[in-house]
This record gives sequence, C-alpha cells and structure tokens, in this order.
Amino acid sequence: MNINISDLKDYAHKLMFDMNDLEYETLLKEFDVVLKQMDIISKFDNIDKIEPMVLPFPIEVKLRSDDLIEVLTREDVLKNAKEIENDQVKVPRVV
Amino acid sequence: MRYDNLSVLELRKLLDNKEITIEDLFNNSRELAIKLNGDYNNFVTILDKLEHSSNKNSLLNGIPYALKDNFSTKDILTTASSNILKDYIPVYNSTVYQKLIDAGCVLVGKTTLDELAMGGTGTTCHTGVVRNIWDKKRMVGGSSSGSANAVASGIVPFALGSDTGDSVRKPASYVGVVGFKPTYGRISRYGLFAFASSLDHVGIFARNVKDVAIVTDVLKGKDTNDMTSLEDDNINYLDNLDNEIKGRKLFYIKEVINVKTNNKETDEIIKNFKENIDKLRELGFIIEEVSIDKKLLEAVYPTYNIISCAEATSNNANLTGILYGPRSDKDNINDMIFDARTKGFSELIKRRFVIGSYVLQKENQEKLFLNACRVRRIIVDKINDLFKKYDGYILPACGTVAPLLEDASDKLTEEYLILENHLQIGNFGGFPSITIPCGYVNNMPISINLTGRAKEDSLVLNMAYHISNKLGNHDIIARRDNDV
Amino acid sequence: MYKTVIGLEVHCELKSKSKVFSKGRNAYSEEVNTNVNVVDLGMPGILPNLNKYSVYEALLLASHLNCELASRLVFDRKNYFYPDLPKGYQITQSHMPFGTNGKFKIYVGEEVKEILIHDIHLEEDTASVDHYCDFSLLDYNRCGTPLIEIVTEPCMYSKEEALAFLDYLRHLFLYLDVAEARIDKGQIRCDVNVSLMKENDIKLGTKVEVKNVNSITGVKEAIEYEVKRQTELLNQGIEIKQETRRYDDSTKTTIAMRSKEDAIDYKYFIEPNIPNVKIDESLIKEVLANKIELQFDRIKKYVSNYNISFKDANLLAKDKDISNYFEEALTSSMNIQSLVNLLNNVILSYLNKSDKNILEISVKPDMLVNLIKKVEDGNITSKQAKEVLTKALEEEKDPIALISELNITSMNNTEELINMANKIIDNNPNMVLKYKEGRNVLDFFIGQVMKETKGSANPSITSKIFKDLLGKR
Repeated sequence: MNINISDLKDYAHKLMFDMNDLEYETLLKEFDVVLKQMDIISKFDNIDKIEPMVLPFPIEVKLRSDDLIEVLTREDVLKNAKEIENDQVKVPRVV
Repeated sequence: MRYDNLSVLELRKLLDNKEITIEDLFNNSRELAIKLNGDYNNFVTILDKLEHSSNKNSLLNGIPYALKDNFSTKDILTTASSNILKDYIPVYNSTVYQKLIDAGCVLVGKTTLDELAMGGTGTTCHTGVVRNIWDKKRMVGGSSSGSANAVASGIVPFALGSDTGDSVRKPASYVGVVGFKPTYGRISRYGLFAFASSLDHVGIFARNVKDVAIVTDVLKGKDTNDMTSLEDDNINYLDNLDNEIKGRKLFYIKEVINVKTNNKETDEIIKNFKENIDKLRELGFIIEEVSIDKKLLEAVYPTYNIISCAEATSNNANLTGILYGPRSDKDNINDMIFDARTKGFSELIKRRFVIGSYVLQKENQEKLFLNACRVRRIIVDKINDLFKKYDGYILPACGTVAPLLEDASDKLTEEYLILENHLQIGNFGGFPSITIPCGYVNNMPISINLTGRAKEDSLVLNMAYHISNKLGNHDIIARRDNDV
Repeated sequence: MYKTVIGLEVHCELKSKSKVFSKGRNAYSEEVNTNVNVVDLGMPGILPNLNKYSVYEALLLASHLNCELASRLVFDRKNYFYPDLPKGYQITQSHMPFGTNGKFKIYVGEEVKEILIHDIHLEEDTASVDHYCDFSLLDYNRCGTPLIEIVTEPCMYSKEEALAFLDYLRHLFLYLDVAEARIDKGQIRCDVNVSLMKENDIKLGTKVEVKNVNSITGVKEAIEYEVKRQTELLNQGIEIKQETRRYDDSTKTTIAMRSKEDAIDYKYFIEPNIPNVKIDESLIKEVLANKIELQFDRIKKYVSNYNISFKDANLLAKDKDISNYFEEALTSSMNIQSLVNLLNNVILSYLNKSDKNILEISVKPDMLVNLIKKVEDGNITSKQAKEVLTKALEEEKDPIALISELNITSMNNTEELINMANKIIDNNPNMVLKYKEGRNVLDFFIGQVMKETKGSANPSITSKIFKDLLGKR
C-alpha cells in the first residue's frame, strides 16, 4: 500500500478537520509503522475462517419496554448551544 | 492529624466516632488538591462546595473521591481534557456518578486525562502536562493521569478512571497504587465518554485492595441504560476477600518475561517479579510458566491500535460544535464544523482518527479492521483456553518505571515490548485485571498485574488481596518532591 | 424502445411510545425540542437502548413481506457528517437486517405482480432542519424516531407497478397498525432507482438513484422525468452515468448530486453497544402468532370464493377494519351481493363523508346482517334498507330499532296493492297489450307501484298480484 500526503489530507478532510504540513509529515511516518504492524495481523492461518469479535464475550440482553419515557426539558436540550432562535439551534444555512 | 494516608475503612471509623466531620474531610481534600494542582495539574475542576446526600447504610458515606473528567456530571464542567469540550456542561449524570451520590460519597473534583482518554502519557491534556507525584520530571502515564495522582498523593482515598487498553492499570503502576478494571460490563459505561466502546471499562484507583472491593461493590450491577452491562453476580466482594486461596493456579507467560533488553530497569523489574513469584508460592498459589506463540503476542498491540482507533473515530464524530462545545464563527455550516474540529482536537487525536478511519474504509476494512477483530478472538480464545486450567495469570504490570517526561512520546514506533502492552489482553477479553504495587526500582514504584476469568471479579479481588498483603506496599502515599 | 426497471427504497416512521434507541418520546409535536433525551442528542457518554416494540414491529413487517427472518440482533453504524445527525453516525442494519429475500404479491390493475424484497431493516430518523435565507434551525424532536426501510430488487417495470406497490405497502403498515403512514406528514419517504434497458437485453442498464422523494406523486414524477431524461440520452447515444440525483419538488425534475466516484464511504461497522444476541424465541413466536391475512389474499378470496367483482373486492380489502367488518357480517345464508352493496355504497360513503373509521359507527356487523335479513324476508324493501341504514349511521342508532321506531315496513296490504294495480293496468292499455304479446314488461308495472308507494311495496307480493291480474285480462 502506498499512501502519500494528499491521501492523508483527503482522509482528514472527510473527518472534518485539517492538520498542518508538519503534522501530516508525522502522520505519514506513523503510517509506515502502522502498516507494517498491520501486516502482522493478517498473517495468521485460516484467519478468514474466524468470526470477527465484536464484544469480549456474549452478553445477555433484555430489551427495553416501550413504555418508559424520559425526556429533557427544552432548557437542558439547548443548554450548551451557542446560538438559539425560536427554541431551536441556529446554524449557518444547511445546503 | 493527617488523613491523607488513611483507607476508606479507617476514615469510616473516624467519621462514625465523630473524630472528624465530612466537612473536614472535604476541606482537607480540597486544600491539598488546590495546593498540588499548580505543580502536578491533577484536576480540571476542583469543587468549591461540599455536596453530600447522606446514606447512613453505606460504607462510603461522607468519603471524598475524585472522578476522571470524562464521566458525565450534571451541571459540572466535563471536558475530557479536550479543547473541543472545554466549556461543556452536561445535563445528565453518568451511572457511576449517580451511584456514588446515592452512596453518600463526596466529589472533590474532576481529574485530568490524556485528551479524550486516547493516550498513555498524561501529556496531551488541554490544560497541560500531568506530572508524576513521585517525581515531577516523570510522567504519570495515562490516560487516567489525574485520578492516579490524586490517590497516590493522598488527596482522596479512591478515584475513578476509565481503562480501554491500560489507562487505569498502567498509571496505577507508575504511582504505586492499586488499579482495578473489573469484567467488561460489570460496571455501567453509561455517561463515560466513549473512546472504544468494545474495550472501554470503568476502573478504580485506591491504595489497597479492600477499598477497591468496597467501591466496586457499590458500582457494579445491571444498568438499563447500558445494554452491555452484566446482571449483578450478587456477590459481595468485600466479604469474600479473605477466602482461602491455597491451591489456586496461576500462570505467567514465558515470552513476556524472557525479554532481552539493554534496559537495566526492565531487568530489575523482571528480577523482582521472579522473587515475588516465590513469595506467592509460599502463600499456597501454584504458579506455572506457560508459553504462548510470540506471533500472537506481537499482534496484541496492532490489534488494539486498529480496533481502538476505528471505534474512536466513530465515537467522537458527535463533536462538531453544533449543539455543545466551542463553535467557530464561519458562515458556512461545513466550514463551521471543520473549523471547530480542526481547532478542538490536538494533533495526536487527529492522527488516531485518520488511522481509525483508514482501517474502516471499504477497501481496507476486511484486511485491517475485521482481521484485527479476528485476531482479537484468537488471543481471547487462547487465554480462555488457559483459564480452563488456571485461575489467572500474573505478569509485571509494565516493563519500566514511569518514564521521564523528556522521553515521553505518543508517536507510534516499531520497537515495543510485549511486556509494555500485555495489559490490553484484559480489554480484549473483558477480563477482570488488577495492578498491585510490589516494590521500587530507581526509587519509583513498580507493580505486578493479576488477570482472571471474565465475570470472576470476586476471585480476582480475593487473590489480589492475599497477594497484596504478602507483598506489602499497600496504603502508601507518594514521597513527593517537596513534601506537603 | 427501452424497458424501464425500477427499484424502491421506502422509509416509513413506525408507531411507538418511545424512540428506537432511547427513552425519548416518539410523537409528533409542535413544541420544538421537547421530545428528546440525551441519547437522541448524541451527548458525550450516551449509549443506545433498543426498544423491544420496535424490534417486534420490524419483525412483524418482515414476516408479512415473507422475508427470511434474522436470527440475531445486529445493528451497524453508518458514519457520515451532517448537521441533522447529532451522533455523527446513524444506527441502522447492514450486516443482518431483520428480513431478507422477501416476496410480496400485489395486484396491478387486475394482474398479479410479485415484488421481490431485498431486505427490510430498522434504523433511526434524524433531526428536522428548517431552512431560512441565510441560516437553518434544528429541531431534534424527530431524532431517534424508529424508521423502517424496505428495499426492493429492481423488479418493477412501470411507474404503475411502482405506485401500486407503494399503495399496497402503505396499506400493509395500516393493516399491521405499525405506522400511521401519513404521506402528508412526510412519514413515508422514498429513494427511487431507475434504469433503462433494451427490450431484449438480459443485463440491467446503469442505475440512477433519485433521493428524498417525499410523496407518491413525487415518485410518479421522478420516474417519468428519469425515463424521459435517460431515453433522450440513450437516443443520442450517450451512456448513462451511475449517479445519485435529488428530486426537486418545485420543478418536478431530478438534479445531479454526486457521481459514483464521489459516493460516500459510510464505513459501516457493527454497533458494539448492542450485543449481537440471538433474537428471543418468544418474540419470534409472538410475531408469527400475529400474522394476519393481507389485502392481496383477501381480494383474491373475495373474487374467487364469493364471486365479488374485482372492483368491489378491492374496495372492501383496502382497509383492514372494513374488510374485517365485511368478513364478520358474512354468514352462509345471506345474500353476499346485498351486503357488498350496502357496505360499499352506503357505509363507505358515510365513512368518507364523516371521516370516521368503521369501528366507530353505530351499525355493527350483526345489525347489518339483521337488516339484510329483513329485506330477504320481505319485511322491508332494499330501498328502505338503504334509507334506514343511512339514517341509523347519521343518528348513531341500531337500524333494526329504527325500523320499529319509525314503523317502517314494506307494504304488504294486498287489498290496497290490488286496487293500485288495477288502476295502473287500466291506465296503461298499451303495456297490457305488450304483456299479452309475451313481452317482458312486468317490471314496468312493478315500477309504477314502487313509484306510488315510494319504494315501500313488497316487491314479491306486487309481482304476484300483477301476474294474477294481467293473466285474467
């Protein structure tokens, strides 16, 4: 796998942030290490036959009843919002 | 009188005998917290006022404690030590915080962590570096850095942290206190800011195993707000600490111990470990050496790295500055989110997110993310297989004492010791795992780690209690640079 | 000429008290930001908390679409940034949807069509965004509302088929009472996939996906526009690009959003906070026990077993309550056509006019049966029955009680009828002649009596009287 700075910029931008050039350089070096490490994990015999583990062990589940209702006051909903209009969160126009 | 080295039960006695008041305890904790904060940066928030709802039936009634600043606390600033949440006031309580309120505990403050709990040095907090209470030149480790220091310095008898790879157990080792991460789901994660949901655990710092058991007894149990929480085992851990352990079987991993390094510190730690094994055999433990494929052990860290970064990328996608957190003044919605995240996350976090996103990409997911999840299973299966014969395994908690800050690095390097990363196995399998102080190297504390079968928290605490009593080194307060 | 191939992805909000992954309230509210809790808002530290009832509803729908049911609870995260998505990901199902490989029969006109269901899955709705000229406002009430998505195979070959399927689907939701399925409230939303292929080709053409079509007419217009647009391109020899377009309500056109190359990678992965347990067998049992006969099967049954016209059968089966009412009233001895007539002509028009549900009306199925029996026994005429029924509905009464109250009977007084008949015969010599010639004019004479008695004459007695009298002339 060959990754360059512009790939990394693209990945970062899709995650909605940017970094400076030096930081991208660091990340590029880190990717070298990461990709080598990652190689280790695909080298196990019959790895494709193993079911990926999602949680450490099976956990019993009792599904929630529909009847329980718990809502916030509007004041709490908006407590941390920076801009409010008509009891709603105001943001620049969404296109 | 000094209270800072007393255990929960000792404080309980003083409170019950009215030799001290809850106010005294809170004020002492608060003053010490303030005094040390300038040098050590343990707290993001130290509370001004005592808040206490009395519970006469609780051993913890009136006992002060500290909470890592990634547990949601209603009306109390909770930052996760990140600029992206530097002004966030939660509107709800995490389950653990609520349980401690109900038990009559007194919160002293919210402790500093590596930003968003993603780090192991205590150097990436938005309020600066956390310094080791034993030696200011050293790191405390992380990510539950402030909680570790708060307990080791005697500010509080116990504190909560979170442990995704080793974030409670390693800093505990670096400051010489007990650090316990119970079975996955034993304690509800509701209200703990998620790092990697399948690996995240609530963990406990205290200066002895008994206090750990008392706190765990209060915190454990099914929570209807956390679908991964376990049904209560209905065992009182405190009452079972003293159970007989003669004949209990433990193993240690040959490949972890047989490391060739040029590091004298590591050599001493391993020597200490071998001596301790003999001491534990005297207690009646049967301890055997077991060999595990080195390839498997070398896969631990990459597996951890892939899974934790992947889950973290997604878990932190809620941080956009729209509904909470600092907002930028950009007049385009995408630019606004972009700017908030660019300014809100530090470099390290961004690098982790890019890695996490990379391994989840459609073209990489099978080979990277899903293979990591498969290797996780191979590792966990291997350990569970050994657990059929053994009640647990012991290893040095880590390969060095707390590193000097000038050596601190959060960049990934190719060189790493299995000895530095085996604690992550406990998170893979959700195993109860505890770090127990066992001595000193270079005048800095070192620890051994005990890990047992999933859901057998009581047995792990029971064995840890005996081990800790045998090895001594409990109820220790750090010898600070400038003693207070 | 090109053949149109259509696939649909239909979203519908489900009914429940609380939300799908939280204890927030699932209800439409004019009061913005009052139905949400911290989970819906994606506050740091929250965890999903799956609603059992939403799972039940999804499985119930899956089983009625004849899908293979999932064996385990598996949810996935669909990761993308958008201001209406507070967590930065949507919890949905991609690895193991609740239902897969379904088949759903419908009538298109009177033709049977089998719709192939790729999958049906449960997910959560997003916040609503109101746009103003230079800003937008976010109301989080809708966040976390349970949303079902039904994805068909590209198996529909005309807009008529697509619209018929949507109509059947809407009635399915209502039959199962799992959704209000109100299109005007935006509760049903579609993505429409349209491709064209040469008449005899085996390979499907390139697919164009039209997103966010929020009305049935929108679906119709989006298909029409795409067929026209793609046909023109193909006729000019231009290849169709695989792309995602957006339906524009105001211009009734579709507008390019993104090409295949720019497709978003949602980085789906399994939601770790919901353990992938085996689905509770008792829940599956409950779902199977609550399986009911649907619109298609009922229409088929009405037509083939009861000789009801397709049009009438279709009317009866559209609404589960009406259909159940009809089936309850059906007794072996009775005249099915009278029942169908009274139901479809009198009761349905009353329901339309009064905007009521059939369960709310005063006339219960047994009353209707008794009313028809009165007609059959000659106690009242069918015209009287219609009038009594209308009155009973309007006054919320039992029609049988109303008959005695108003003393309504058919005119059985033979003497009076004979007098009336004699007069009519006297006044219509031409018709008598025709009768004598063997022409069928008996109905004319009966009609005259009916006219004079305002429909209350007992038709069989009247008929007998005329036969007698005319025979004697």
